[in-house]
Amino acid sequence: MIKKLPGKTVVMVGGGLTAGLAARQLTGKNIDVLVLERGTDHSKGAEARLPTQRDELRWDTHQGLVQDWSVQTYTLRYSGNEMALPVRWMEAFLPGEGLGGAANHWNGHTWRWSEYDPEIRSRNESRYGKAAIPKDMPLQDWGTTYKEMRPYHELFEKLFGIAGKAGNINGKIVPGGDPFEAPRDGEYAQKPLELTLAGMTFKAAAEQLGYKPFPTPAANSSSAYTNPDGMKLGACQYCGHCERFICEAQAKASPEVLLYPLLKTRKNFEARLNCHVLGLTYDRAGKKVTGVHYVDRLTGQEYEQPADVVMLGAFTMTNTKLLLTSKIGTPYDPVSQTGVVGKNFCYQLGGGINLFMKDKWFNPYLATGSTQVYMDEFNNDNFDHAGLGFLGGAGINASMFSGRPIAQRRLPPGTPRWGTAWKKANADWYQHSMNIGMQGSCYPHRENYIDLDPTYSDAYGQPLIRMNFDWRENELKLSKYVAAKQTEIAKAFNADIVSPASTMQAPFDIRYYQSTHITGGTIMGKDPGTSVVSPHLQHWDAQNLFVVGASVFAHNSGYNPTGPLAALALRVGDDMAAYIERPRIL
Amino acid sequence: MSDKPDQTQARRGFLKKAVAGGSVIPFAPTWALGATATVGIAAVASEAGASTAVPMVGYVSLSQDEAAFVETLVTVMCPADEFTPNGVDCGLATYIDRQLAGDFGRGAKRYARGPWIQGRPQQGYQLPLTPEQYFKAGLAAANEACVAKHGKPFDQVTPAQASAFLDDLGASKVAGATPPLGPWFNELVYPLFAQACFADPIYGGNVGKVFWKMVGYPGLPATHTVDMVQFRGKPYPGSKDPKSIADFS
Repeated sequence: MIKKLPGKTVVMVGGGLTAGLAARQLTGKNIDVLVLERGTDHSKGAEARLPTQRDELRWDTHQGLVQDWSVQTYTLRYSGNEMALPVRWMEAFLPGEGLGGAANHWNGHTWRWSEYDPEIRSRNESRYGKAAIPKDMPLQDWGTTYKEMRPYHELFEKLFGIAGKAGNINGKIVPGGDPFEAPRDGEYAQKPLELTLAGMTFKAAAEQLGYKPFPTPAANSSSAYTNPDGMKLGACQYCGHCERFICEAQAKASPEVLLYPLLKTRKNFEARLNCHVLGLTYDRAGKKVTGVHYVDRLTGQEYEQPADVVMLGAFTMTNTKLLLTSKIGTPYDPVSQTGVVGKNFCYQLGGGINLFMKDKWFNPYLATGSTQVYMDEFNNDNFDHAGLGFLGGAGINASMFSGRPIAQRRLPPGTPRWGTAWKKANADWYQHSMNIGMQGSCYPHRENYIDLDPTYSDAYGQPLIRMNFDWRENELKLSKYVAAKQTEIAKAFNADIVSPASTMQAPFDIRYYQSTHITGGTIMGKDPGTSVVSPHLQHWDAQNLFVVGASVFAHNSGYNPTGPLAALALRVGDDMAAYIERPRIL
Repeated sequence: MSDKPDQTQARRGFLKKAVAGGSVIPFAPTWALGATATVGIAAVASEAGASTAVPMVGYVSLSQDEAAFVETLVTVMCPADEFTPNGVDCGLATYIDRQLAGDFGRGAKRYARGPWIQGRPQQGYQLPLTPEQYFKAGLAAANEACVAKHGKPFDQVTPAQASAFLDDLGASKVAGATPPLGPWFNELVYPLFAQACFADPIYGGNVGKVFWKMVGYPGLPATHTVDMVQFRGKPYPGSKDPKSIADFS
């Protein structure tokens, strides 16, 4: 028997970063907000306290902070004539669970994307001609611009105390920063993190070749910091336990440090934990949602929670899933090229080179999740693609994020996998090796999409999301191109041993961690025929439903998604307030 | 396997443990007769271990025969040498046993609904077995393959044969078994071995933090704001004396 609860003004699905930011905007305007989160509060548990926090096996190997795959996973197939199989244990990407979501265990890289990213189709068409965009690449503009998002980037970076070096202040290129950076109002909220020796070594090699490397903007606090809300960050301890961990020093800007403690002091805010949302109630004729249907995981009781406005702020796949199971909007069909929900599902490219230098003490454990030096010369459309046969690009970087010994040991090619020689190689190189990595764009392909699986279901009896995905020719070519650039840079290191560059290989392999930067499925745009939500993130088929997260990105860039995701979350908070004041299509 | 005449060997697991604990020397000749490279562990342990720490005694999940297989496996993969004592004395068999007996072995957080269909390797594990069941099914199949090849179970072949057999498993050259032994070794056994070496000693492996010392991982609590600058590009002194969870508990 479903119990119906008293109504709320705004109900948000998923208590992660986007909900925390949007709720900050709304509750600040005296609008009441209820956040429904399937997990618990991690802030006082073993995961957030010494010594148990520093447990690689528990939080990393065994994914202690990650979505419970026994409850809900995804299926995968590579083409439309195959049966998809469930991913029974996911390594490739790691959605979070619990208040704060994946932004609890994130590394902290915080970018503004390229100024042209939201207008990616127009940019490529104007530079290379309409014919340069392949027919099976539904690259599309987002319907918004960097200029519109910029004030929210400025706000987010101050709220999260982002540490970095400006490269472009109001159009003026500033030495030391990223010369390809979108223009910003001023310097970052905090000075950059210290560079590691790996970063310095990469910087020297890249500069020798004429490139302009710079420190990656970081949410790992380079000093003690108080944000405009009066919320505090501790100074980073360079402990090497960011990615896949909660920062016990409260030095990694996260929703559970900066947003939810603030929101909990506001009377018009409530976060209801252990609530797994099953669907939305939808009035198709009225083009409105009426509320949310969820199960309390502590009691099994199901509830209907009426709401004036609903915001989906769950992980990328879940936003799409809830639209599909609630039958809101038209599902995408790759054959007829109709429908929109599930469209433009994108991932991100990786690959790298290991360098072994016996005289250099890289000390990998003296690091943060964002101690990285980056260069943007071959990222996105920062270089001329004429004649290359692909679009997009990748940032090239030297990252030293941790020395966690189970997973973060580099060994020279040809090292035996066990025995005395294996031990010797570990002893010789653990502290004397580093990596040149890449993070590359992934543009949409008409056959890369997500829908509901016809066979496999979750613990609540609902269909799993099915990933129809593989690496396509565009990304494979791009990966090879950037790998060749990495190889040139690697030569300038004069290292004792250099491993061959690893490039992207099809089929997509779920057995290895690649990136949690998954985008698309509920994409934004100006045309209801090709987008799920409007440029204001308002659903075209339910005007009181808003969707936010990387699921609204119509393509993926060569950067981490958090910056634009957060800017859009702050903006949708203001947009929802405007809608509540006067309900309409914004 | 229990029907074979040569059954003194199958119990070596327990006897080695007893020796590692330093209490039951009279059994030494028995295990020293075994074919794997365990001779001289006590002497090496006292040098390389640099610690009085010893592995826990006894197994929760593994049977005697299974323990004999696993002890041989970790001794081949981690022989006693200038870096560490042998794998049993490093607690590697204990680690694997405890993992199989716990949440991991029971398949915590793994999706376990059917139908069960085999796909491409890149789609990951698709058998209807928990990791503990999978480990044991693979172990039995590997032992059968070893008997077929050498006429003896894995814990009774020579060190060279054992090592070559593991090479073949890792290279997916031991064909035709159920479950398939390449993925079994590479995606289940090998990760357990690496974890056993490098996880916090609180889980039973990496006894005496011997693998952390070997590579120079300083462990906990890692508050390195000052170290980060002071020891950038230089040896970090804390690497020589790593600290684990137990040191702060």
